[in-house]
Amino acid sequence: MYGSAYIDPNTKFDGYLAPGEDPAQLAEFEARIAAGDKIEPRDWMPALYRKQLIRMIEQHAHSEIIGSLPEGTWITRAPGFRRKLALMAKVQDEVGHAQLLYNAAETLGKSREDMVNDLLTGKSKYSNVFNYPAVTWADSAVIAWLIDAAAIVNQLANSKGSYGPYSRALDRICAEESFHLKYGHDNVVFLATGTPKQRQMVQEALNRWWEPIMHFFGPPDSASQHTEVLMRWKVKMDTNDNMRQTFLNMYVPKIWDLGLSVPDTELRKNEETGKWEYTEPNWETFKQVINGNGPCNAERLAVRRMAEEKGRWVRRAILKENTEYATPLS
Amino acid sequence: MEMTERHVMGLIELLYKMADDQLIIGHRNSEWTGLGPILEEDIAFSSMAQDKIGQSLALFELLHELGEQDPDTVAFTRNAEQFHCCQLVEAPIGEFNFSIVRQYLFDQAEALRFEMLMASVYEPLAMVSRKFRGEIKYHVMHGKTWIKQLAEGNEESHQRMQEALNEVWPLALGIFEEGDYEKEISEVNIFAGEAALKSRWMETVVPFLESCGLNIPQSDAVTGGRHGQHSPYLQPLLDEMCEVFRIDPNAEW
Amino acid sequence: MKINSLDPRIERAQLDSESQQGMNTPMDQFQTYEVFEQKKRGTHHIHVGSVHAPNAELAAVFAKEQYSRRGQCVNIWVAPTTSIYATAYEDADIFETTPSKYHRDPESYKVMDRIQAYKQKQNA
Ligand SMILES: [Fe+2]
Ligand SMILES: [Fe+2]
Repeated sequence: MYGSAYIDPNTKFDGYLAPGEDPAQLAEFEARIAAGDKIEPRDWMPALYRKQLIRMIEQHAHSEIIGSLPEGTWITRAPGFRRKLALMAKVQDEVGHAQLLYNAAETLGKSREDMVNDLLTGKSKYSNVFNYPAVTWADSAVIAWLIDAAAIVNQLANSKGSYGPYSRALDRICAEESFHLKYGHDNVVFLATGTPKQRQMVQEALNRWWEPIMHFFGPPDSASQHTEVLMRWKVKMDTNDNMRQTFLNMYVPKIWDLGLSVPDTELRKNEETGKWEYTEPNWETFKQVINGNGPCNAERLAVRRMAEEKGRWVRRAILKENTEYATPLS
Repeated sequence: MEMTERHVMGLIELLYKMADDQLIIGHRNSEWTGLGPILEEDIAFSSMAQDKIGQSLALFELLHELGEQDPDTVAFTRNAEQFHCCQLVEAPIGEFNFSIVRQYLFDQAEALRFEMLMASVYEPLAMVSRKFRGEIKYHVMHGKTWIKQLAEGNEESHQRMQEALNEVWPLALGIFEEGDYEKEISEVNIFAGEAALKSRWMETVVPFLESCGLNIPQSDAVTGGRHGQHSPYLQPLLDEMCEVFRIDPNAEW
Repeated sequence: MKINSLDPRIERAQLDSESQQGMNTPMDQFQTYEVFEQKKRGTHHIHVGSVHAPNAELAAVFAKEQYSRRGQCVNIWVAPTTSIYATAYEDADIFETTPSKYHRDPESYKVMDRIQAYKQKQNA
């Protein structure tokens, strides 16, 4: 899942050519993108493009591996063969997505070791939504349906971006996401059409996850030169608000259709503008959670540290001395 | 020879222990999801856990055809003493050395068991065995590759592998604890029996482990599992597995 | 501080938020292998991505599940990334064919006119 289109508005930006970069090369690079061509790893690219892409793909990769944890909470408790097999396969796919995305970021010159270390020290972020707990089985269903749905909106947009390896990874990821979405929807439908206890579980889960979902696409983009350049370079493919609208338009009717409600009395589609109106989620909470104060930030990182630590003797034992390294090709 | 009631009971016993083994080890190995030693291995280990759960489902379906309850009910509502798995599969995942040695020793036994069962006169079981062949072949390949590399890795990993083998070996011998119908199921060629399986397994795993520089422990089998006597790990595992199921026993999940 | 988790797997591991601060050293995740997948006999192996692995045997074990766990595949190749020599995109123009390469083009071999003319001449 789970690229977040969110780019920190505080990123320092002073012109989009670094000192020493050649305007003629930039012109060629921009012409290639404008023509709908992809940029490949060994092409010339502006430092800012490389930096933003590494940052974005790396965060996306972290989000996949951390994203395996909330649903992983229920992996030993999934009720029945059908759910158990599907949840295992779904969470496995997320780990697979992390693998593909780390590779894509690696083609830009940052090693997997450095990316993992930056995750463990908190230097590099992941999608905020995974800092919330999956309290009941129904939370895992809501995650698989709606968080994956939100992620698909984002990933489909990004798959049309300009960087070849990221687009290729996303094409494969999106194909797998369609299974996640179906599985999640099926799971929610069973709960929503089930016993009163099941309905209650799924409604409560939806209430818990609504604000994190509204946060998912990030705060409204500020109109900056930075955003404008990233959109021209097809790094950022759509505005946060547009993607949020797409998501609401596709999924709110499906939620209502099941007789479930969303904890926002202002939520409605304005038929004149065609836009959804809603209560702006609390962006201060969003910032707080990004900065480490969400309900599960500490746990998520502690678990990743444990996994890395537990595997270290294994990796050390089989690493051959004098191994040569080359950046993966694509 | 004609199939009598005792032959059918032997067949049911055989299917239960196989299905329970697969279910419990699949469940255990699923605990590694997202926590494996490297992303690529995380994915491989999860696939094998899924294969195991899928195989147990197929075996529970065979039992259902023989008049037992449906797979979900059988798998998710019995208590520990009603399970027929060996104690090997119940133990917690421990560290990677324990999990990988267990995975190999168990899957090598499964590979040989299913190979023998491909010739079973009970055609549905023979069919299922043929279907699983590829999956299990990969599991064995996976286990052997890891064991060889870690046993021959560095001093630390060699020692860890030997320790894990010492721990797993007596439990693994428990796979071959005989049931109450060994004679019946072999005389009608349903399955040649645990003793035959064990000798084939020994002939396969001992030379391989020794070729990796590991010593075969001299220890006795931990038995009881096939007769409902389990380690203290099984009941909590089942409680966890059935937690959601029990929230609302009338619900469809 | 002890981590209290809703995940029974994590709860059993008894984690502490302060412990295990170890970092990964360079090459901790090995080198990479490029993976090529053949969907069925008679077709080409096609590059599908890469895996991190310490050697070819494990790379193949990993590649099988990461790239072929769904769908059809009959064969996998893995090759160390370091062994692959690639042309530069800057040199993409070497692949451009010019009209002067007509001698390679089957369309440029049109002999029927000549045969017809010859036959007419013979009959005349
Ligand atoms: Fe994903
Ligand atoms: Fe997903």
